[in-house]
Parts: sequence; structure tokens; C-alpha cells
Amino acid sequence: MSDPVEPVPGAGGQAVLECAHLVRRFGERTAVDDVGLTIAPGETYGLLGPNGAGKTTTIRMVCGLLRPDAGTVRVAGRPMGTAAGRAKRLIGFVPQDVALYPDLTVRENLRFFGRLYRMGRRRLERRVDEVLELIDLAGRAGDRVDSLSGGMRRRLNIGAGLVHSPTLLVLDEPTVGVDPQSRHAILESVTRFGEEGMAVLYTTHYMEEAERLCDRVGIIDRGRLVAEGTPRELVALVAERDRVRLTAGGDLTGYAQACRRLARVEGAARGGDRGDVVELVVKDARSLLPELLDLAHEQGLDIRSVEIDEPDLEAVFLQLTGTALRE
Amino acid sequence: MRVVLTIAAKDLRQRMRDRSAWVIVFLAPVLISGLMALAFSNSSEFRADIGVVDLDRGPAATGLTQVLKSPQLEGTVSTRSYGDEAAARRAVDAGRVHAAIVVPEGFTAALRGGGARPVTVLDSVDYGLQAQLARAVTESYVAQVNADRLSVATAVTAGAARSDIPELAAKAAVLRLPEQVRPQGLADDPLKVISYFGPSMGMFFVLFTVGFGARGYFIEQQQGTLDRIAAAPVGRGALLLGKSLSTFVYSLAGLATVTLVSWLAFGARWADPAGVAALSTGMAVAVVCLTALVIALARTERQAEGIASVVVFALALLGGNFVFAAGTPLMRSLTLFTPNGWALRGFTDLGTGVRGWAAVGAPLLGIAAFSAAVAALTALILRLRRTP
Repeated sequence: MSDPVEPVPGAGGQAVLECAHLVRRFGERTAVDDVGLTIAPGETYGLLGPNGAGKTTTIRMVCGLLRPDAGTVRVAGRPMGTAAGRAKRLIGFVPQDVALYPDLTVRENLRFFGRLYRMGRRRLERRVDEVLELIDLAGRAGDRVDSLSGGMRRRLNIGAGLVHSPTLLVLDEPTVGVDPQSRHAILESVTRFGEEGMAVLYTTHYMEEAERLCDRVGIIDRGRLVAEGTPRELVALVAERDRVRLTAGGDLTGYAQACRRLARVEGAARGGDRGDVVELVVKDARSLLPELLDLAHEQGLDIRSVEIDEPDLEAVFLQLTGTALRE
Repeated sequence: MRVVLTIAAKDLRQRMRDRSAWVIVFLAPVLISGLMALAFSNSSEFRADIGVVDLDRGPAATGLTQVLKSPQLEGTVSTRSYGDEAAARRAVDAGRVHAAIVVPEGFTAALRGGGARPVTVLDSVDYGLQAQLARAVTESYVAQVNADRLSVATAVTAGAARSDIPELAAKAAVLRLPEQVRPQGLADDPLKVISYFGPSMGMFFVLFTVGFGARGYFIEQQQGTLDRIAAAPVGRGALLLGKSLSTFVYSLAGLATVTLVSWLAFGARWADPAGVAALSTGMAVAVVCLTALVIALARTERQAEGIASVVVFALALLGGNFVFAAGTPLMRSLTLFTPNGWALRGFTDLGTGVRGWAAVGAPLLGIAAFSAAVAALTALILRLRRTP
């Protein structure tokens, strides 16, 4: 039995994904507040924001897993809802955590998820083989998932979202907790999907991933989309500013608060993997630096290094929200 | 429908790879019912070995011995003679006979003279039923003799000549007490232990499927695969049907295995194979409904496990899977609130030779009512729990 041939959705310039005024509340808390975004065919769109910003909630509404309290989602013009089969057929969903059956083999997992999309037997087998090659797991096709390494499971997690050849691939923070080698492989794959014409919605709180992968980026904070554009356009928002990274010991939170009171400081937040960095977005860093160092001495900080950089998406986020991405 | 089958096949494949599932649903019930069949193999048909001490040596005592050897009791009662009461007592105590009847010296003469010399029944605590049988036979015989005496005495009082008494006594002796109990509707076959405990153990262990199914749901929820299925073009109905179908097939396979092995290997007998299939199918439907209820009640895998355990043991106890539920009137009433109790009632009837609708009609309706009530309760709970 052959599968029905459908016209390629999103072709002819029609947006693959259109979200308008999405709102979702959980009790008193508004997790997503009036979010709207559009993704064109072949475009990779990054939703950048810290943990708890509303990225996953937005994605769950896009995939029809959660009903919005207000607003609409359309996939290639088809309305999305919890029972919107036609729209769901076009989406490949890759959840943040590995969502596979550990007691089934790699091939059985791919087959199962493919069958859910009513793929014909021949096409499914062909596509499973293609995906196995794509995620570099052809040699492990007969192995149970619980015998795979963490990186392999991550790749298979993405593969399971690709079996039915979706028009829009939705990846929810696919590199969280992944070793550098697997992370590199995942980013390479996503780049390839974009090059092959697949639209991608990619959420991350890693600024460098958004900069590297995405044609356009939406910055989301506390449920609101605060800025949107190409990475270049977004950085241009802070073009006249510099980014200062001050690494020190002491009360860095208090120092960041004190810095925000200075006239030429537009954003200040504690950050860094060990919490020993204060990131600042300032106008004319070089002339402001003595003032910043004086303030650090007054606060009793033990300064270890000071760096002045060109602004990047991290600086954009800092300036727009007043907080660091990984604060 | 294809998606429903895909989900069911996936679930079944996972179950088949779980060794504990094999042990609990297929191996354990077969082993336990087999052990029970072996343990009760000697008691599956009732027998009474009764010792007789005839100290009277008169016709009345001979009459009692003849009753014990009558065609009605052939195959159930066997007799052994002892010379005195002490020897009979020793035989009873040693278990060589289950009970003994001592006909005292002068028993016949006492009857002729209108006096009374009581017959003694020696019993053992280990064979209460056999002792009851010996007492019942003796009492029945004495009642018959008393009836004969009463009829002769009545004739004499009414004016019959004393010389006619032997003839009257002979005529009275051939008369029998009117039958007071005529059993109707019961089949003739005795119920074999394995015919009861085979399906009983099968049902008990299949009830564990409730826990498997409910836990499996929460594990899928936890590992995110349910979300993945929900993100595909799969309606909630198809998901529910797929999961129910796998639970149904698995439960039915478990019951079918146990009944087949009980029949082929341990000699279980049921009058109507179609009835066995119908009861097993009904029970599998009940398991599906119970699984849905546990999923609706629980919020985590651990809760599901706990609730399922309570449900399984409560149903098994009330339904008579461990002990014959017909023991007390209360137990008989409680049994009617359990699907396994209804099913066992049906299997008991089938095991005693009752066929067709007469055996399985009421049990199937009982199981259907239980399943419908559980399904309605589940729907209500899910409706109340739905996020506003």
C-alpha cells in the first residue's frame, strides 16, 4: 500500500508556523504571555531564554500538547489543537529529555514512531534506514536502547522526530546535559536539516548555539517575547555598547545592583558557571572602567580579571532583561 | 485502527520482554494450581471408610450393615468389621477407618420389647465429614426402625390381633419413610479441586495485570513517550484503545494458558469450552476497566502500584480465589461485588457439569455490571480531574 502524496506544506512562501498572541497560565502564574512568532520554510528559528522563561510551554502549545488559554497556532495554515491530526502530521517533536522505549531496539523505536504517522510499510522501512544513517546508528539498529550511550540516545531521540519527514522540526533544548562530542554532532545535524530545507524551531539557553544555528532568534523572558530578529539585527540593538566581564570574589550580587545605579550601565547581572562573574552592558567601557573598578574596591571585591568584548546575544539579553541567560 | 494495533503491539512486545510478567501471569498460576491439584488429588472425590462393631448379631444390626452396603452408598462408603468397640476405637484413632458404628448387644431384642439401646458412632477430628455421614446413616436407619415400630403399635392400638404382629412388622419393614429432599438443578458431577483452583489462580495472577498496566502508563508518562505519542496524529481514543487492547490480550492469554494447562496436564473438567472462553473474556474486560480506574486514581507510578495491590488482594479475598467463597452467607454476598467471584461461580457450575447460559449467564451479567460500574467511576474521576 502506498502513502497518499500530499502537497508540500509551507511551499510557495506560506509560513510553516504561525503563532499569534499565545497565552498560557498555570493558576496565578502566566507562563506564556502574548507570544507571537512566525517561521518560514527552511528557516531555523531559535527561542532563546533562561530556564523557566516559557520556552517549553510555548513548544508544547506549538505541538498540540497543551491548549493555549488564548491565541492561535497554525502549522502550514492548518490550525493546531490537541486533536489536530493534519497539523500534527507536519511536526517532528524532539522533547528535552530522551523519550524512547529502553526495552525496544533502535529500529523498533523508529518504526513505532513512524507508524504513528501512518507511514506505509515500504516507505517506513526505507525512511528508518535513512534516519539510522543520518544519526549514525545504522550499526546499532538491532541493539536495545538501554544498551546505548547517553550521546547515542540523544541522537536517536532526534531521529525519532525525523522518521516521518516532518515539515517543521521542533527541538526542545536538545543539548542539555550532553557531552561536547555529542553536542557537536547534534548541532551539525540541525545545521544540515536547515540546509535541506526543513524548518526548525530550536529552544536553548545557550547563546552560542542560537548564534551558530539560527536564522532568526526570539528572546523570551518571563513568558514574554522581548525581541526578535536575526542575530546580527539583535546585536545591532546594543551596537553602541560594550560588554564587560568582571571576574571576582565577594558579594557580586550587591556589586551588580550598585552598578545598575550608574548612569552608563544598561544591564548588570551575576553570571558565570561558578557564579563568580558580573556581566555588564555599558556605554563606552573604556572611560567607565575606572569608575567600575572604584566601585568594586568600595564593595570589597577581590578582582581577578576584567574583559571588554564586542556585544553578542548574551549582551542583548542582558540589556533587554537586566539579567544573564544563565543567572 | 492501524494506530490502535501499533500501540497494542508495542505494549505487548514490551510485556513479553519483561520476565517478571511471564512468571506472574503464566508460570506462577500454572505452578500453584498444579501444586493444589497434587495436594488435593486424594480428596477430590469424597470417600468414607466406616468400621462396624456388631455386638448384637440380630436382624436389626444386620439391617444397619446392609444399609451401609446399599447401592446408593456404593463407591462412597466401604465397611470393615471389628470384634469389639476397643478395636474399632484403635482403628479410628489410627486413621485406618474414618469412623465406626457400634451396635450394642441386645439392640434387636430392645427393639422387639419396645426399649432403647443406643447405637454409638466413634469419630475422629480428622474426618468430621465421614463421621457426620456415619451418624446420618445410623440416624436414618433408627428413624426407619422407629417408624416401623410406630406403625405396628398403631395397628395394635386400632384392634389388630397380637398374633398378627410378626406379619405387620414384616410389612412395615418393607415400607420406607417418604422422601423429604429431592435435589433438583444440580449437576451430577463432583467438582474437582483443579477445576476450581485452576481458573481461580489464573484470575488471581491476571489481576496483577492491573498493576502492570497502570505502572506502564505512568512509566511512559515519566519517560516522555506519552507526550511523543500525543504529539503525533493519534487521538486520545486511539491511545486508550491501544493500551486497553494490550491489557485485554495479555489477560486473556494468561487465563487461556492456565485453563488449558489445568485441563490438559492436571485433568480439570468443565462442561462447556465456550462457557470457559466467555468467562475468561469477561474477566479480561474487567481487568481492562480496573486498570483504567487505577490510572485515574493514581498520580504516580508508586501510587498506582499501591492502589493496584490493594485492589488485587481485596478482590481475590472477597471473590474466593484463596478459599471457597460459599463458606458463609456474608462471603457469598460479598462475592457478588467482584468479577472474579462471579467468574468462579460460573467455573464452579461448568466444573459440575452445568452447561451453556445456565452456567455462565448470571456470571457474565455480573461481570458486565461490575465492569460498567468501574468504567463509569473512572470516567467520573477523569472528568473531575480534568484541568479547568
